[in-house]
Amino acid sequence: MTTMTRGAYALPGTTLNYHTGSWRVQRPEHRHRAAPCHHACPAGEDAQAWLALIAEGNRRAAWEKLIEANPLPAITGRVCHHPCESACNRSQYDEAIAIHACERVLGDEAIANNWRYPVDAPSGNAPVVAIVGAGPAGLSCAWHLLRHGIKSVLFDELPQAGGTLGTAIPAYRLPRDLLAAETGRLLELSGIDFRPLHRLGRDISLDQLRQEYAGVFLAPGNQRSREWSVDGVTPRDLHVGLDLLKEWVSVGDVPPMTSAAIVGGGNTAVDLARALKRAGVAQVHVITHQTLPRDHVRGDDAMSAIVREIRQAEEEGVTFHDQRGIRRLMLRGERVVGVEMVRMKKMVRANGRMERVAFEGTETVLHVDQVIPAIGQEVEPFGMEPLLHGQGAFEVDHWGVVSGHSGLYAGGDARGGHGTVTAAIGDGRRAALALVRHIRGEAPPKERLEEVIEIGQLNLHYYEHADRAQEPLLAVGERGLDNEIEGSIETTGADREAARCFSCGNCLACDNCWTLCPDSAVLKTTELARDGSHYRFDYDYCKGCGLCAHECPCGYIAMGEEV
Amino acid sequence: MSEQPIADLRRHQPRFSGLESGHRACTGCGEALGARLVTEAAGPDVLVANATGCLEVFTTAWPQSSWRVPWLHSLFENAGAIASGMEAALKAQGRPTKVLAFAGDGGTFDIGFQALSGMLERDHNVLYVCYDNEAYMNTGIQRSSSTPHAATTTTSPAGKARMGKRHLKKDIVSIIAAHHVAYAATASVAYPSDLRKKVRRAMAVEGATFLQVHSPCPLGWGHDGAVSIEVARLAVQTGLFPLVELERGSLTGVMPIREVRPVRDYLRAQKRFVHLFADDPRAREELDHIQALADHNIERYGLRGDRPDALDSEGADTVRRGGARWA
Repeated sequence: MTTMTRGAYALPGTTLNYHTGSWRVQRPEHRHRAAPCHHACPAGEDAQAWLALIAEGNRRAAWEKLIEANPLPAITGRVCHHPCESACNRSQYDEAIAIHACERVLGDEAIANNWRYPVDAPSGNAPVVAIVGAGPAGLSCAWHLLRHGIKSVLFDELPQAGGTLGTAIPAYRLPRDLLAAETGRLLELSGIDFRPLHRLGRDISLDQLRQEYAGVFLAPGNQRSREWSVDGVTPRDLHVGLDLLKEWVSVGDVPPMTSAAIVGGGNTAVDLARALKRAGVAQVHVITHQTLPRDHVRGDDAMSAIVREIRQAEEEGVTFHDQRGIRRLMLRGERVVGVEMVRMKKMVRANGRMERVAFEGTETVLHVDQVIPAIGQEVEPFGMEPLLHGQGAFEVDHWGVVSGHSGLYAGGDARGGHGTVTAAIGDGRRAALALVRHIRGEAPPKERLEEVIEIGQLNLHYYEHADRAQEPLLAVGERGLDNEIEGSIETTGADREAARCFSCGNCLACDNCWTLCPDSAVLKTTELARDGSHYRFDYDYCKGCGLCAHECPCGYIAMGEEV
Repeated sequence: MSEQPIADLRRHQPRFSGLESGHRACTGCGEALGARLVTEAAGPDVLVANATGCLEVFTTAWPQSSWRVPWLHSLFENAGAIASGMEAALKAQGRPTKVLAFAGDGGTFDIGFQALSGMLERDHNVLYVCYDNEAYMNTGIQRSSSTPHAATTTTSPAGKARMGKRHLKKDIVSIIAAHHVAYAATASVAYPSDLRKKVRRAMAVEGATFLQVHSPCPLGWGHDGAVSIEVARLAVQTGLFPLVELERGSLTGVMPIREVRPVRDYLRAQKRFVHLFADDPRAREELDHIQALADHNIERYGLRGDRPDALDSEGADTVRRGGARWA
């Protein structure tokens, strides 16, 4: 006699012979949608994906996922303005995931443990691309070329790599040994040849590069300050923001002054203000047309500087005058003794145009002995004059192709319009992808446009409120020239943040669908399913009720038409 | 990569399920989910006595069965008696197998009540599970003594004469507890880990135990099958279906409600209460009446949580990567 074990059933008599899937009029499908952090990252990082790997306890895999887009996480974790966090769906629930702090933890851990870059040395006869400028854009381009088996030679006029990261970002935001460590690890890779102290137009020429290399990527940065005057008037002893900042970063000192007004609302203005404070300038003012962020929220027309840098500058005694313009320089002879400010606002005027309006009768006088413009820079055209047509930035397409010059790419600050480290890294990546195709004689890759998932498509009931990890900050009195102000949230903080991630648009492997399906039509896989999730729908039995889609916390299940 | 054949994957699921696919329950059926969750937590060493009702009908369309455990159906009114006899037989054989009795609210609150009461009184080693969908759904949505006040059914229609059912929902768990049984509890399909924990507790008791599982019926309640869980969750969050545990008649556990929702949120999601949102003074009165019933439950069982808790109405179903919550 056959003994039936517990849980067995007689095959001829089981309802498994009856396929209730034929009732279905709509079918559940796993649909990956881009998390807003991924969509918002100028470098193209999929933070959701690498946070998931942290949550799985595999930080090394997380780092490897991260550097598929950005090879400089220890650096960007410190200096990026993290638009990913502004976009984070969790910011509408309690607080955004501290993505930048987690990125920094991964970058630091990779350096500390000397994790190997997951890339093979290119073959001896691999094509070579010339890259001008070893800043974030150039380094990113070299890395992404290497990932595709293409070698590069990186030229830079400075003795070390890093570009603006080393010349204009103060050490209290980006410690120099850290910068050297992360860039150094990249430059050590076989297939990236770094040639410092080479200046385009002096030691090498553009024509020579175009003849000798399979492709050229220009990322020279913006080395020349924009012209600035108030109604054509400039003071005789004018110092320009970025130059002064570079001087302070490299020499550690600035010309003597007792009070200064810095004009501009970007990171250069804020960095310089903090540098002047550290150099002993008693009164430091920042004057900007734009608006100060309130309560960590950027309104319209907000200052482009990083919010936490503005907050720290305020703590250190920098005075901000937002929504104000300079109407007149007050000169005695050719020396500045003050400025006349006026309140301004960007608004739609009667003519229907958005303009900045100065309000008459709101003029005030600020007594300062220096006015320092920090209103932006442009490309120094030396050696590249034919490409710039007298403009301050390269005209390029989405992939960085310089208009009218096939095989010649440009990116980073020199392409104009953005000017952040992360955007430069994204430029380098896109140019590298296009260069790979160009070298193979193919058209540029297709843009992948993925639907972005919004908070309304998540089921928030399944999440709990949890405080965001806070990085330790040095007290104002302890902040010096080189001491890094922001500390690390450490691996415990990163683990906690990763656990807070909603996993927007991607499977969290939470078992909700598997647990809640009334028809047992969701099956759990032992290995990853083909779509990367942990579950498969058994369409023989799924009746298409839509319960799994409704209860999926991540919005990863969508109901599609039954065909 | 070749994927594992789906039938093969089905045979290697990392859980025991007493109820297989292919059953004929409606889309989004709360009772089908509830029965699977109960058998999952009870394990394979059980026998089931099933009263007449939806569960019996949709799992055993002749000549097929969805059950993977020994299962017996006799009549509508005698699940308690059948289970008692099965338990007595197993006892005589000296076998440790646990008997489960499954019935709907009709078979428990009304028709099978005296058989159940006798089973409790004799303290048979049976876990009696009532899948409470608050009306006779199998026969066409007739009111039962479990149907909540003011719900419309085919035998308590809302109209000129009445705003749905005139009487109140019977407080069955208190009646069960009055039999001085070792364990009686309520659970909801919206809180599966809580439900399974209660099944395991009841299974561990030697003697009669009772579990009332709130199971939404998309057809009878008038909501889309996709929102069955959401509707069941709202019943808990409003206080209309308190999740409680009673041991020997004493209250020993409640699921606190972190954020108490107004009953309107629950009622509005279901067509059986749609008449309460008409512009009618009787409707407004009934809305206030139902809110008062919820408030009464909250006060009576002390359901309002005083701080966030991992086991309250918000914390009990928080998801974790890898499904750790459902352990």
